[in-house]
Amino acid sequence: MATYSSSENKLVLKIVYYGPALSGKTTNLMQLHSQLRPQRKGELMALETRDDRTLFFDMLPIGLRSEGGLDLRVKLYTVPGQVQHDSTRKAVLSRADGAIFVADSQLNQQDNNAFAFDNLAANLQKLGMDIEQLPLAVQFNKRDRQDAIEEHKLRARWSSTPWAPLTLASALNGQGVVESFRQLLGRLYPAVDAEFALARDHAIDSQAFIQNLSATGGPSNA
Amino acid sequence: MRNYEDDFALDDLLSPAHQARLLELLGKLSGASFALNAHDDGASRPLEFNLDTLGWLKAELPAEQHQAAVRLYELVLFYAGKYRLAANLHHDATEASYLELQQKHAAVQASEEKYKQLAQRLTQQVEEQVRVIKKAQQELYESARLRAVGQLAAGIAHEINTPIGFIGSNLRVANDYLDELEASLPDSHETAMLFEDFHALLDESSSGTKRIARIVSDLKTFSNIDQADFAACDINALITTACRLIQAEQNQVLPLSLRLGELPEVAGYPAKLSQAFYNVLDNATKSLEAGGQIRVASRVQDNALEVLIEDEGCGMPDDILARAFEPFFTTRDVGAGSGLGLSVTRDILVAHRGEVRMESRLGEGTCVTLRIPVN
Ligand SMILES: Nc1nc2c(ncn2[C@@H]2O[C@H](COP(=O)(O)OP(=O)(O)OP(=O)(O)O)[C@@H](O)[C@H]2O)c(=O)[nH]1
Ligand SMILES: [Mg+2]
Repeated sequence: MATYSSSENKLVLKIVYYGPALSGKTTNLMQLHSQLRPQRKGELMALETRDDRTLFFDMLPIGLRSEGGLDLRVKLYTVPGQVQHDSTRKAVLSRADGAIFVADSQLNQQDNNAFAFDNLAANLQKLGMDIEQLPLAVQFNKRDRQDAIEEHKLRARWSSTPWAPLTLASALNGQGVVESFRQLLGRLYPAVDAEFALARDHAIDSQAFIQNLSATGGPSNA
Repeated sequence: MRNYEDDFALDDLLSPAHQARLLELLGKLSGASFALNAHDDGASRPLEFNLDTLGWLKAELPAEQHQAAVRLYELVLFYAGKYRLAANLHHDATEASYLELQQKHAAVQASEEKYKQLAQRLTQQVEEQVRVIKKAQQELYESARLRAVGQLAAGIAHEINTPIGFIGSNLRVANDYLDELEASLPDSHETAMLFEDFHALLDESSSGTKRIARIVSDLKTFSNIDQADFAACDINALITTACRLIQAEQNQVLPLSLRLGELPEVAGYPAKLSQAFYNVLDNATKSLEAGGQIRVASRVQDNALEVLIEDEGCGMPDDILARAFEPFFTTRDVGAGSGLGLSVTRDILVAHRGEVRMESRLGEGTCVTLRIPVN
């Protein structure tokens, strides 16, 4: 849940990268860290990894300051995908404002994708949230793999869900990562605007919100 | 509660002692003196952690060295922050797991309680069923026994009636013959004595036959041989029969007084009502070991017909009184009674929409009231 502090005029949003083990959540965050040029960007914190696998979480803070002086922060988290870390996963997911589900395109990972997606829904419910209500983008990563499930099959499978269209990515090569993030920002904006009147009180419309937080270069990188 | 992702203040990441130590070490390394301020005073540089400015580092140093000192400080903060975040996350996750465990535990307890109650209810139902079955069995047994006794009594009564009839009339004829014989013989003291004895003998036999005839007729009443199952009952007649029967069974004259009031006829099962009166009288008789009276009275009271059977026998304490109506409950020696008497009596009265009341005082006696409503 977003927290707004009126004394500091500071709004903090939380976005969580969720998905099965080894699907590329940490890789997504590392790519964002190197590709994004938002107004403000902190250090990428990887808390505890063993053999490249997240044990606690990764976190990347980014932010912007509006002309009206709003200090808008977005904290990006990844959860540990391994099944046994469910209580950590749930703790990281708590109070999320939006999520990006990173699925693994490899054919033999489809069961794990489904299992992780169910786990996301179940954990949201335990935390008092509803997967149908939460702003959520679904990314199929590792499109570069030979054994990746075919795109038309994926699109057909997801077309009738609230999360279509999917985004496709090859995070290792830096492709599709920013696009997925932008899609999520687009789905997140209406909820945040409804609660905190971003457009009315802070002159931040959807376009400014997305552009400023996901800029990859150019003038906003002042 | 602080959340693991809350933004930290400097003191959350480094203790004041460590902050002082760090400044001291930076000072020794650079040869300048450092100070940490909450606000910018123009000669300070910001210390940043996760986009937040946690303090301002002041030093009299060239810009490059000043900046390096800030970077070094921030590096320490970065690792301290990682530790803090991990520790807070661990705390949050543990607390959440514990909460979930507690909820599960509560749920398990609730369902355990539910099953316990269910088990209790089932046990109660089973006990209830067992009770019903036992009672039905008992009634079956009792009615079968009554029928058997009734049939036996009917058979005996029928077999005895005829011979007792002709024995009676033969005795009368024999008496007449004796008169004739006496008249035809010469008068002498011896013969007079002989005939007197002879007459007394025949009279005694005659009254004996009459007694047998009466018992036979009582038995017939008691076993309901002559009557339809459900009939208009003369309660006083049934009481009298039961009293006579109990006297005959005891083989002695009981100290029994009857005070029977005027009663309307009631519809009922005569044989069963007789059995009820008999059972209560039987108990009264058996309580009289140390002497005393039995008083039997009947009357109409509050739209009900009441039969009171009162004895001056041994009585009973409250705990036994409370259990007196239980089937098989008896204070007598095993074999002396089935212990069914009062429970059967009550069942019979209940079958007549009536009731049995019992009062007793240990050592003073017992009074049983049988009430049958008059419609
Ligand atoms: N071929 C290919 N490999 C990828 C891609 N993205 C990530 N990987 C590899 O997949 C492995 C796991 O990536 P991570 O980003 O650590 O996965 P994760 O989802 O964070 O895994 P957990 O922390 O265990 O949940 C690494 O070896 C990555 O290099 C991709 O787009 N294509
Ligand atoms: Mg990871």
